Amino acid sequence: MTTLIQCIDLNVSIADALLLTRLNLNVEQGDYLCILGPNGAGKSTLLKCLMGLLSATNGKILFDDKSIKKIPQKALAQLVSYVPQANGRRLSFIVEDFVKMGRYPYHSVLSEWRPEDQNACDVAIEITEISPFLNRQMDTLSGGECQRVMIAAALSQQTPILLLDEPTSFLDPRHQVDVHRLINKLNKQHGITIIEVSHDLNHASQHGSHILALKQGQTIWQGKAGDFIEQQRLYTLYDQNFVFAIHPQTGAKIALADEMIEANE
Amino acid sequence: MKPNHQLIVITVLSIIILLVSPWLGLDAFMATDIKQYILNEIRIPRVLFAFIAGAGLAVCGMVFQAMFHNPLATPFTLGVASGASLGAAIYVSLGLSFTIVGIDGTSLAAFIGALLAISIVYSISHFRHGFSTETLLLTGVAISFFFSSLILFTQYLSNITDSFHIMRWLMGRLNIVGYHDVLQLLPFVTICIAVILWLGRELNLLMAGDDIALSRGVSVKRIRYILFFITSLCVGAIVALCGPIGFVGMMVPHICRLLIGNNHYWLTPATILFGGSFLIVCDTIARLIIAPAEIPVGVITTLLGGPFFLWLLIKSRSRIT
Repeated sequence: MTTLIQCIDLNVSIADALLLTRLNLNVEQGDYLCILGPNGAGKSTLLKCLMGLLSATNGKILFDDKSIKKIPQKALAQLVSYVPQANGRRLSFIVEDFVKMGRYPYHSVLSEWRPEDQNACDVAIEITEISPFLNRQMDTLSGGECQRVMIAAALSQQTPILLLDEPTSFLDPRHQVDVHRLINKLNKQHGITIIEVSHDLNHASQHGSHILALKQGQTIWQGKAGDFIEQQRLYTLYDQNFVFAIHPQTGAKIALADEMIEANE
Repeated sequence: MKPNHQLIVITVLSIIILLVSPWLGLDAFMATDIKQYILNEIRIPRVLFAFIAGAGLAVCGMVFQAMFHNPLATPFTLGVASGASLGAAIYVSLGLSFTIVGIDGTSLAAFIGALLAISIVYSISHFRHGFSTETLLLTGVAISFFFSSLILFTQYLSNITDSFHIMRWLMGRLNIVGYHDVLQLLPFVTICIAVILWLGRELNLLMAGDDIALSRGVSVKRIRYILFFITSLCVGAIVALCGPIGFVGMMVPHICRLLIGNNHYWLTPATILFGGSFLIVCDTIARLIIAPAEIPVGVITTLLGGPFFLWLLIKSRSRIT
């Protein structure tokens, strides 16, 4: 397996606030990395660094051994695509137009729309199954549909790495499952390396390959996803008691935040 | 209707407006040579002037709406026009008069004012990460007030002639004679429109959000600076010559969005044509409504724009809740 992304001693601070401290991370091709942690832990900060929206105060980020600072924005967009949080951003583009906008990094001002562009969009549309509403305006779609369009637009970028920021928050359980199935498919069948910020412990530990747990910018734990769920670790991470169960079909360990016991007991 | 058909309709209507409006209000009993003179030296330049200014204001408004993801954000509502007005007012009251490479000093002063205002709005709204509608508009209002009082102050310090000159100009005017002002304005607006047409795909992505734009490979900062610079130049030139003609930059692009959608490939040309025709129509109304006297065109656009602004505000509020 080849290492795609390396973060070495990454520090990020804005003004006086330290958002990430001494983060070390290796992401290999085909990984499905889930970033977990309480709100304000630095999860989104890390995503922003990986897409070039924020730059490291100290330390470095390497893509294929090349520093992110030396990669032009368009070239970076051919490596990494991004699906933002699905909270109420109202976009009034036609779905098809928006998916096509994902081809931006492959074009200059004068270049024509090419067959390979159309092909990339067609594939993205097919995988995400959004063809029934291609001609609709995005703000008329449901949350789940809109999230699939967002993913399709990122897929049309044809990048080996896909970043997702809480792709299933704000969705109902059925659409959460829909979107997660889609992400699993992208990872397993299409070999796309996934980095997902999430609050869904159970999905992360069952379907992710690796987990990075952050709290106040510090790395609490990282390792294989299957080893993640453990009482003391979850308590440290979230300051919250969990109860555990075994999934009747898969035998995987499931954690549930417990409302019965106060956190400080 | 498809966007390309709509664009054809808008083009045809614009051409009709351009051709018909110079003839409106020409006294039928006037001697032919006087009529010809009025047409050639007053009406046609005035209509062209209105078209260019309207197109420029509308297209700058469109860019602001896209960059700030907000239909209420325009050079006028964010105080950029006031900044330009202040620059021009200072220039007039200081009694300055110079030209640099054929460009009138008023335009340069207005450009500096506009750029100053835009920098203040941008840094304040950017200061607290991401700009909510409220922060942005309140910043704009504050800046407008601040610059307006500075304009009053310069007016107070000027002599009575300059003071009247400034006041009349602040109402927005298009009553020019001959082609000098048309030729002064044309290069600024043309350059601005060319750059904005060139950056259509970037505008689409910026409208989707800075994070999306960046992740698609747009060099957001650089594009933003180019757009700020070019719109300041355009708004500065228009304000210097016509005064702050309000709300064209808000109404026109928004109506075009409703008609033709948000894809700038279609939206930009539609906004240019519609903006130009819209200002011609407003100016023709201003010219005819209490003929033989004229109302400043800025009064008409602001009378239309005020209620439109409120409607947009109420609509966007009800959307959020």
